[in-house]
Amino acid sequence: MCGIAGLLFKTPTANHVLGHALATMLDGCQHRGPDSTGFALYETPAEGLRLRFLVEENDQAALARIRKALAEQGATLKSERREGASVVVEVAHAGEIRPFAYAMEHAAKLVSIGAALDIIKDVGTARDLDDIYNVSAIQGSHGLGHVRLATESEVKPEAAHPFWATGFADIAIVHNGQITNYWKMRRRLEARDFEFRTDNDSELIAVYLADKLAQGTPLETALAQSVDDLDGTFSFLVSTRDGIGFAKDRLAAKPMVMYEDDSLVAIASEEVSLNRLFPGQPLSTTEPAPGTYRTWSRSI
Amino acid sequence: MVTIDLSSLSVREANDALRAAAARGEDIDVINPDARHHIGVGLVHPVTVRVHGSAGYFCAGLSHGARFEVESNVGWGVGDSLYAGTVVVGGNAGAIAGVALRGGEVVVKGNVGSRAGQVMKDGTLLCCGNASFLAGYMMYGGRIIILGDSGERVGEDMSAGAIYVGGRVQSLGSDAKVETPSPDEEADVKAFLARHGIAFDGSFTKVVNAGTKLRYGVSEPIGRPQPHTVFSEGASYWNAKVVEDIRAKSLIGRYRIRGYGASKAVPHFSDIAIKVDPARVGAAGDPLAAVTLATTLGDRFGAAPLRLSMPVMIAPMSYGALSKSTKIALARASRLSDIVENTGEGGMLPEERAEARQLIYQCLSGRLGWNIHDMLKADALEIYISQGAKPGLGGQLMAKKVTRELAAIRGIPEGIDLRSPSRHPDIMGADDLVIKIEEFREATGYAKPISVKMGAGRVRDDIKIAYKDGFDFVQLDGMQGSTGAASTEVLENMGIPTLAALQEALDGLAEIDHKGDMPIVLMGGIKDGVDAVKALALGASAVAMGTAALIAGGCISCMQCHVGNCVVGIATQDPEHEARYKTEVQAQAMHRFFEAVRWQIAALTQALGHTDVRQLSRADLVALTPEAAAITGLPFDPAYRAVHEQLQSQVA
Repeated sequence: MCGIAGLLFKTPTANHVLGHALATMLDGCQHRGPDSTGFALYETPAEGLRLRFLVEENDQAALARIRKALAEQGATLKSERREGASVVVEVAHAGEIRPFAYAMEHAAKLVSIGAALDIIKDVGTARDLDDIYNVSAIQGSHGLGHVRLATESEVKPEAAHPFWATGFADIAIVHNGQITNYWKMRRRLEARDFEFRTDNDSELIAVYLADKLAQGTPLETALAQSVDDLDGTFSFLVSTRDGIGFAKDRLAAKPMVMYEDDSLVAIASEEVSLNRLFPGQPLSTTEPAPGTYRTWSRSI
Repeated sequence: MVTIDLSSLSVREANDALRAAAARGEDIDVINPDARHHIGVGLVHPVTVRVHGSAGYFCAGLSHGARFEVESNVGWGVGDSLYAGTVVVGGNAGAIAGVALRGGEVVVKGNVGSRAGQVMKDGTLLCCGNASFLAGYMMYGGRIIILGDSGERVGEDMSAGAIYVGGRVQSLGSDAKVETPSPDEEADVKAFLARHGIAFDGSFTKVVNAGTKLRYGVSEPIGRPQPHTVFSEGASYWNAKVVEDIRAKSLIGRYRIRGYGASKAVPHFSDIAIKVDPARVGAAGDPLAAVTLATTLGDRFGAAPLRLSMPVMIAPMSYGALSKSTKIALARASRLSDIVENTGEGGMLPEERAEARQLIYQCLSGRLGWNIHDMLKADALEIYISQGAKPGLGGQLMAKKVTRELAAIRGIPEGIDLRSPSRHPDIMGADDLVIKIEEFREATGYAKPISVKMGAGRVRDDIKIAYKDGFDFVQLDGMQGSTGAASTEVLENMGIPTLAALQEALDGLAEIDHKGDMPIVLMGGIKDGVDAVKALALGASAVAMGTAALIAGGCISCMQCHVGNCVVGIATQDPEHEARYKTEVQAQAMHRFFEAVRWQIAALTQALGHTDVRQLSRADLVALTPEAAAITGLPFDPAYRAVHEQLQSQVA
């Protein structure tokens, strides 16, 4: 149970005030989820890959496992630093992402892999995360945000959103709602060697989309199919290296409002988050219809 | 005129200022609203409030008589439970616009989100654009006008009222049908539009109830059923009760409905013994003088708490399920024993309010009889999510009991088999619930405790949500809890036992490091002070009794509460039957019962060597069966059975 936010700047540069804007939007709807907060941020793509792991303070064994797994996977470690609850490593890696990702997941709790994508998530509020991770300073082109109130799964950083579509660089989702055919869908995906790290139903959406994309399905088609395949209540946002999209269930049980102008698209659970970007200014917003989906790409 | 700037004030401060200005009769301009929630909730003065921008959730909710003009958009639930007044929205409205309208006018110039007008009873909701999914869902009366398209499944399970669609009827909901409006009706709609300055040249399609689901087709055979104390599962599973059930179903071809709770053997307080020497009970003088029983509930966030003379209250039971005389007697008994009475579903009776010194006012999914005036009169507010007898389902009140007077209080058509919705229109999850609780706090100035009534389903998760969403206390109801009407399958088979519910709740709070930080009032088969002591020792802060109170007050446990012909005048709305109920006699009987409960609690607490009920602990208990030990984690010690039996004969 949650609040979600998505933001895409349409102009081609990636030096917008992305982190600050998303943190502000989430602060506006923090009442929907006081337990944990997370961001998926798209910065200027780097040469190599950035991997973020959740590693407890002083867990040298985990760090050793990460270094060993990187070496085994033929990845060259370029940098390593600790930030809040996580450790960020930058590597040079050539080859398939999914086996690499699974190998790294067995080494430690992997949050994201991407050239552009960085997922920052932790227990606490948007302001807490901004203090620890300096989210406001992060510039980028587009991203997602999420505030979480845990209902059935635990309160811990790895159960926070966004969820990375494991095996696919630069794809993430945030979700508000409850997927009621979770176990059925999960068993089907597990039967095809997809792995799950949590019991959180939102992780399923990320893996589900990853599976579709692996089969060459365009994102927009995958979103259309998700409206049929997923049961329950949901408003979710997805982000890729080039853009963002949403899908909304047919029951229209979870809120979602969007605002679009020539320079940006902003989507949130509540208009109060959108209005945070434009204080004192009434916005012409729309509520996506039940059972609909849409994607936006930034011009490159 | 007063200007309130939300860029520099919190909503709470703004609403205080708004109410103060309205009480002086001044109109109000709200600037920089920036889609903030709860603007103007609970306003009861006939002033004009102009919102210069967008408003968030529940704008003008629970207000009465004011005029709101919102320049731009509104979020969910604009005009929630409005009794009279006008709300005009210049832009779009989110989901459940005009939810639970009881009168007045809500005009939206743009589109409305899903479930517009859900459970509305009267008044008019106008949408000048298109409506979304399930417009008019479960409406009980009133009028929705949609100038654009209807959205899918318009009029789903509406009981009464009318929906006028100017555009396309995309699809009809269950039990809805299309009619051509009469010239008078169409003229009335056009006059409404003209009054709001809205031009419309088209014609209307009228959507109304099709009448296929308002009444159960076949009545159950009337007979003397197996008594409640005969369990459907026990020594033999093919028993007289099972046979009776099969025969009844062979006649009616559907599920059966009855009153009361689960009657099957599940682990309960009788499987737990108190580690006390029976010889000590009452031996140390007057326990009532020696033991502190007084209990306060509800000040977790600074509200004025409920003050109970002992950790016992009356379980929520509605006027509707029960006769007015019975509700008055319960309220009187609660005053005489200085405990707390609860309205249950279906509104607050003035007589009940006058008799009870402390009264909890319950808000259910159908918003039947829910209004700002009674909220302000209540001592605490309670959001009912579910109950032990039928967790996850809405209430049932059969047609015989839906009399003219009762229908008027609830705002529903007379003589229907009333089924309340299984979920709240504005609580689709824990996130929405936070906003709903805040609406109630804003509307009542943060002065009243807000509790949640929770049936025992997945308690371990739900108790955490209740804590995080900010309830002052929880009323937790196990599967043995009774009801005025539910299907036997649900009564017997859904939910978890009261004992397990309490343990899951305690464990859930401990898992998030908030053990003891939110009081739990336990109910569902609590029959006396001995059960109460066991519940308190396990970790409940108080217990509530419903069935026990009714039996003390004359109920003969025939389980035919739903039929409406209660021979003792308790579960009936028939004046002839109700006349048999002697309010003062039964109020005194219930009072005496509660005083017996008080003595039991005090005597056992004293015999255990304590001077305060809060000193009771798990160390005072053992489990007599492996099942009870497994559920509670208490040590399994069947050697205490002899002590237990001696104590029962001595105290119970």
